Amino acid sequence: VNEPELPEATAPAPAPAAPPAARIGLAVAAAIGVLAIVETTAALVAPSRAPKDADWEAAAREIRAAFAPGDLIVAAPAWADPIMRLHLGDLVPLLVAARLDDARFGRVWEIGQRGAHAPEAARGTVALEKRFGALTLRRVERPPAIVLYDFLERWTEARVSRRSLGRPDVVCPWSGDRFQCPDVSFNFVHLQTVEVDTTVRRALLAQPVASSVVVIDYPAVPLGRELVVATGLHDVWQRKAGHGVVDMRVAIADAYASAIEATNDTGWQLTHIDTSASAGRVVDVRFEITSPEPFQRHFVLAAEARR
Amino acid sequence: MRRGPLTTLARDRLVMGVLALATVTWLLAVEGGQGFGRDEGQYFRAGERYWGWFEELAHNIAAGRPGQSFTPAGLDRYWSDNAPDHPVVAKVLYGLSWRAFHRCTCTGPARFLHPIPVRGRHITLPLFKRDSTAFRFPAILFAALLVSLVYRFCRRFVAWPAAAAGAALALAQPHYFFHAQIACFDAPIATMAFAVGYAYWKSLRSPRWGVLSGVVFGIALGTKHNAWLMPIFLLGHYLWMRRGDVLGTNGRRRVPRLPLAFASMVVIGPLVFFLLWPWLWQAPILRAKTYVNRHLQHEHYNFEYLGRNWNAPVTDSRLKPLRMTAPFVETLFTVPVTTLALALVGGVVLARRRRGEPVGPEAEPEVPAGAQPPRPDWRRPGADVDRAPGAFLAVQIFGPLCVIAMPATPIFGGVKHFMPAMPYIAVAAALGLDRLMRVVRAGLPALRERAARALPVALATLACLPSVVETRRSHPDGLSHYNLLAGGFAGGASLGMNRQFWGYSVLPMLPWVNQQPDKRAMYWHDVISDALFMYKREGRLGMDVGDTGYGPPAIGRSSVGILFYEKHWASYEGTFWDEYGTTRPVLVREREGVPLITAYQRAKP
Repeated sequence: VNEPELPEATAPAPAPAAPPAARIGLAVAAAIGVLAIVETTAALVAPSRAPKDADWEAAAREIRAAFAPGDLIVAAPAWADPIMRLHLGDLVPLLVAARLDDARFGRVWEIGQRGAHAPEAARGTVALEKRFGALTLRRVERPPAIVLYDFLERWTEARVSRRSLGRPDVVCPWSGDRFQCPDVSFNFVHLQTVEVDTTVRRALLAQPVASSVVVIDYPAVPLGRELVVATGLHDVWQRKAGHGVVDMRVAIADAYASAIEATNDTGWQLTHIDTSASAGRVVDVRFEITSPEPFQRHFVLAAEARR
Repeated sequence: MRRGPLTTLARDRLVMGVLALATVTWLLAVEGGQGFGRDEGQYFRAGERYWGWFEELAHNIAAGRPGQSFTPAGLDRYWSDNAPDHPVVAKVLYGLSWRAFHRCTCTGPARFLHPIPVRGRHITLPLFKRDSTAFRFPAILFAALLVSLVYRFCRRFVAWPAAAAGAALALAQPHYFFHAQIACFDAPIATMAFAVGYAYWKSLRSPRWGVLSGVVFGIALGTKHNAWLMPIFLLGHYLWMRRGDVLGTNGRRRVPRLPLAFASMVVIGPLVFFLLWPWLWQAPILRAKTYVNRHLQHEHYNFEYLGRNWNAPVTDSRLKPLRMTAPFVETLFTVPVTTLALALVGGVVLARRRRGEPVGPEAEPEVPAGAQPPRPDWRRPGADVDRAPGAFLAVQIFGPLCVIAMPATPIFGGVKHFMPAMPYIAVAAALGLDRLMRVVRAGLPALRERAARALPVALATLACLPSVVETRRSHPDGLSHYNLLAGGFAGGASLGMNRQFWGYSVLPMLPWVNQQPDKRAMYWHDVISDALFMYKREGRLGMDVGDTGYGPPAIGRSSVGILFYEKHWASYEGTFWDEYGTTRPVLVREREGVPLITAYQRAKP
């Protein structure tokens, strides 16, 4: 389809403009010109500002030379974590990578870039700070939390049962690698690697059962000043499919000490229960898990009694 | 009108040709570095299978039984592939291009990786070394067409240097550029959306284009379902343009007449769509309904935006406002900032324009010439009124963005789902640039004539420079790229913006995979088998490389595997740690320090 000829493009003729408007126009043109130069320069320069392999290797050497068991190594921003593990993954075993939190680590090695800091290194004093190219290595030191009882380490000592109104309690015996309750295939308690809020954790998977209470009872737990309980819902597909709330009550020596609610949005939720009044005592700790809508609720928990 | 040896029209055609050629050259030069995603792998397969129907038709014609190809079984054997997901215009072009232009090694070891039986060596015009390039070529031509159309459309308002800059800015956007080189539909539908809009614009004063609008719309319907929305956006413009009828400011109040373009879109559009999709032929209503429902009820795949994983319609009222910002923030963080700034200036120019004024000194008149304006006519519904170019650009830019902003709409495609807005942003940028060119020229009255003539080209070049450099920087990881405002690859990752999807970014790791002793037990995570077949057909992946399958159990069966970094795949990383007994990767593919893929190897006992 032929089109009529379009107007001739000429070298733009000087356009009459009121002086203030012209000044504003020129200022805008100048600003965009500067922006274009800055954007071009940034695009050309930015790739060279990224940390290089040699930076990572040098930082890794520094850490290896002074690393002690019980140290934590983190990357900042967190998205650099895989590269950190590429260089130092042998010092970040599964239990450390999928940790409950960072409280038990007295020394934190933080490999940061672009001015970022890791939340794990927010507490304590900076004992070391060194630059390795585009990376900044910091060692932060603080008193570690002393864990008196790790509920994941001792999970096989727990007693698991299911309570339903008007029925006798059902004991869930050990079966292979888990506590398996009778009659309901998904009613089990199992220690495994889970994903909560798109982060990998180690936790006990304990799905709630309709009209029932799933009970995990730990006998003889030595208490310190606090009991830290982590809860959440595993994994992204189940969170997409299910919407129900999961409730967990924590009973210490048969007295309810806390009620925790887990939903799709609560993430990896840490609940700190003050046990200073019972510090030094050895008591039973019981977790009671229920849900009014248990469909696809892959509830998980981890806990530590800390001095 | 003449200046020098070329008429304006001839020069415009020359510039369009140069722009198109430059687009094809640039995209062909780089597409080989771009891996195959889940969707593209399927479209390779479907395109080749659709070609199979044509091949069989030729055999049936030769055998004197052409009707066999039109029986339900004869049609569905080929056309049910990738149905009801997507119509077939682009895929048929990909299949035909592959058949015509690939360098045939089809009877070699990869013979059985084709989705249809290879009857013998294909006689082709072997333009391309790789099969995938031949598949992708039509998509690249779509991009070239878009660039030319953007130039042509811009020329209705601005001088050629600004129009050429607008066309270049339409291409030089990292996310668009990523999609422009692959055999999918998102870049082609951006072209078709622009073509429909352009045809409609011309139909406002040309009955011929009123009819053609329906044909163009039908092809758009056959390209991707985004086309359903186009008439809605155009209706918004039309009602605004003819608001004088509704308000009675033109003499008397009346309902705006149904313009020819819309009538054509309603009548001709679906007809063309139906004719172009043989899968529909045997049950048009039922299958069309299936197709529509497929997309109205589309699953919300996982997608990261501002640090959250979104994978369902948002029902939480606290999250709705955040979710609704997605397309706007993604635009803000992905389109080169200079382009956005120029588009903003263009928007101001259009907003300040008085009704009836031309957009600029070189623009077409918006008020028809002559003392007596033409009578309103449904065949030329824009002949008697200002065509409201500002409103036209506004609906074309904000229409697609607003659809994706709705909390119930999936956002898993990121920018690609509202990419039809992007060329119009480039048009707005061209308008802004043109105005600034005139401001600068006015501010430099003492400029010598030769310098004055060079000034627009110099400014256009400066305007395009950051976008071109940024786009070049982004390749082949355009999906992971974010602009200066976001802070590039690293800034995007820190903001919690989506890094990638569907396994495109694996290509640079293939040489490493080929060297692995345990490659027979390879876990490919999000790389679909169709993509693996194509890598093998092209010799980029050894025929002895295995695939343990999909999902966490497949990690258990594997000895070496990869993991794409997307927020929702975190549990798979945990599975690797469990199954392989280590958290230490053996390789991390990264861009500017941002991990895209990690490779793990099972720890030796």
